[in-house]
Amino acid sequence: MKLYPTTALLFVALSALQACGGDSSDAGAPDAASVTATRSVALLTSGPVSDAGWHAGAYEGLRWIGDSLGFRISHQQTRTPAEFDEAFISYAEAGYGLIFGHGFEYQDAASRAAEQYPDVTFVISSGSRPSANVVPLIFHLNEATYLAGMAAAAVSRAGVLGMVGGVEIPSAKGTFVAFEAGVRAVNPDATVLETFIGNWDDVSAAKEAAAAQLRQGADVLIHNVDAASFGFFQAVREAREGGREAWAFGMNRNQNDVAPDVIVGSAVIHIPAMFLRAARAWGAGTLSDEVLYSGIAAGAVDFVLNPAREGVIPDDVLAAIDRARAEIVAGTLQVPRIEFVEGEGGAGPEDPGVQGDPLPS
Amino acid sequence: MTDLAALSSFLVAAVGLAVPLALAALGETVSERSGVINIGLEGSVIWGALGGALGALTVGPHAGLATGALAGGLAALVFAGFAVRLGTDQIITGTAVTIGSLGFTGAVFQSRFGATGLALELQTVPAWEVPVLSRIPLLGPAFFDQAITAYLAYAMVPLLGWFLFRTRWGLALRAAGESPEAAHAAGVPVVRTRMLATVFGGLMAGLAGAHLSLVHTGTFAENMSAGKGFIAIAVVVLGRWRPWGVFAAALFFGGAEALQFTLQALDADLPYPLFLALPYVLSLAALAGWFGRSRAPEGLALPWPRWRRISTNPKK
Repeated sequence: MKLYPTTALLFVALSALQACGGDSSDAGAPDAASVTATRSVALLTSGPVSDAGWHAGAYEGLRWIGDSLGFRISHQQTRTPAEFDEAFISYAEAGYGLIFGHGFEYQDAASRAAEQYPDVTFVISSGSRPSANVVPLIFHLNEATYLAGMAAAAVSRAGVLGMVGGVEIPSAKGTFVAFEAGVRAVNPDATVLETFIGNWDDVSAAKEAAAAQLRQGADVLIHNVDAASFGFFQAVREAREGGREAWAFGMNRNQNDVAPDVIVGSAVIHIPAMFLRAARAWGAGTLSDEVLYSGIAAGAVDFVLNPAREGVIPDDVLAAIDRARAEIVAGTLQVPRIEFVEGEGGAGPEDPGVQGDPLPS
Repeated sequence: MTDLAALSSFLVAAVGLAVPLALAALGETVSERSGVINIGLEGSVIWGALGGALGALTVGPHAGLATGALAGGLAALVFAGFAVRLGTDQIITGTAVTIGSLGFTGAVFQSRFGATGLALELQTVPAWEVPVLSRIPLLGPAFFDQAITAYLAYAMVPLLGWFLFRTRWGLALRAAGESPEAAHAAGVPVVRTRMLATVFGGLMAGLAGAHLSLVHTGTFAENMSAGKGFIAIAVVVLGRWRPWGVFAAALFFGGAEALQFTLQALDADLPYPLFLALPYVLSLAALAGWFGRSRAPEGLALPWPRWRRISTNPKK
């Protein structure tokens, strides 16, 4: 097919526009000459960083790295696996020494790029295959959603709870498995509904999925979608406006201020702190080739109550949650999880527990 | 909850999901009837969602619907400027407009509200209950207790049917889509007709986007159009390029989507991708069996004038 120059030009111009985000630091292709290999950090996300959740946390972490370590930073949003490879290679070629791939979906592309660029370190959030220069960064968010599940069961009057997810990847599924276990720890007879919307940013689909669960009798919902969570919270808000007692739980980031009127608490990953720690270790040359595990004990994950909704959860349940948290930290309570690191086996008692130094909060 | 109440709330959800599809698809029907397939419709939808959100924040939710429609129309104008005026390939140009719009709206959103985002809480356009009609059992609350965007969609169906098939202008528009050469010979300004039809399609898609942000969800998120522009193009084919058919197809699709969320919430123990695929599987079945074969306008996607045609077959 013959392409008219005008069309081609338009295409190139618009694609370039898509590649830039809203911040000048992400703009354009990295420039090889001005980048030194030891001090440049790049981040790839598969969704918009304006989701006030999973991706936003990573972007914040990148900025922390730039601000407090003085490293040069760059971010790109890449949506398709072909773009993952492309972006890894162009960053590696441009001399970026540490590249974060923020999500399970980056593992394969990172493994390929890592063989090609042995001097570059790849840190993959929720990754599954460590190698010499690929470091999976595993957040045990399930520990926090277990506690959220206990709280949710205590708040629910109907005994019916709902979970709205994006795509059933191990990191998302794991949070739901643990949430359900937490619910049953408090109310063994509860019904727990589960819906996946098939992507992470269809706001109206997330709203309808939540609305369908509310119609089905659920009165406390948790999500694991990114930007689409805005619609999820709206469904709960409308149910409340319609005179029902309904509550929501936030995920990935402290979302208590995202919808303070409906959120009881959030299962939080301190992604920025974990990114900063990984980057600092990399800068000092101490980032190992092992999996970085980080749960409540390492201060990387926690369940945070919304101060605006105090009093919703009965005191005895709050005490039980605190006990469970202490048991998780002590290693006596094994929260169910989905394994994503290959060869790790099922949710057994031999938690590798390779915890780093506790984080200063 | 009684079965009747469950059915009623299912219908409310079905119509709610169908309205944005119907708006965008009715607009696209006009543009395709004039011979322009606007793959950039998705871009108009996301611009409409953002334009609506910004308009609602500065003026108010109703004004937001207008600014959303306008933003969608502008995106379509860019597309039409290239694809109709300059005769570039419609599919490639439309794809470029869609990709560019998804990125550009994200950049605007982030520069206005900060890079890491916030759950924008927009004042929504309230539903307006039609007296008498809204009391029809089952169908009343679903169809006649909606926001103004739904009534606009209903009104457009007979209006467009009349315009396309009963007026001189409608005939000229369809002629531009069936046989631009003949239309040109008969004195129809093909380029201007196609420009106007495409921009009208963009206005409607923009309104669909504004419906998403200002009626349905009361917020904006990047990429929230989530393929609805593309689904609308499929809905046009499913509805055989006729306003009534397109409206019915949009309802059908909205119903299938509402059904799949209801089924997932029923806790059926089946893999969820099966449910997600349900609307598309039903559409395929309907496309194969419904009303027999469908025929696209003869001149669809062909640039005009002829000397600017980009043909894969140079001998033609």
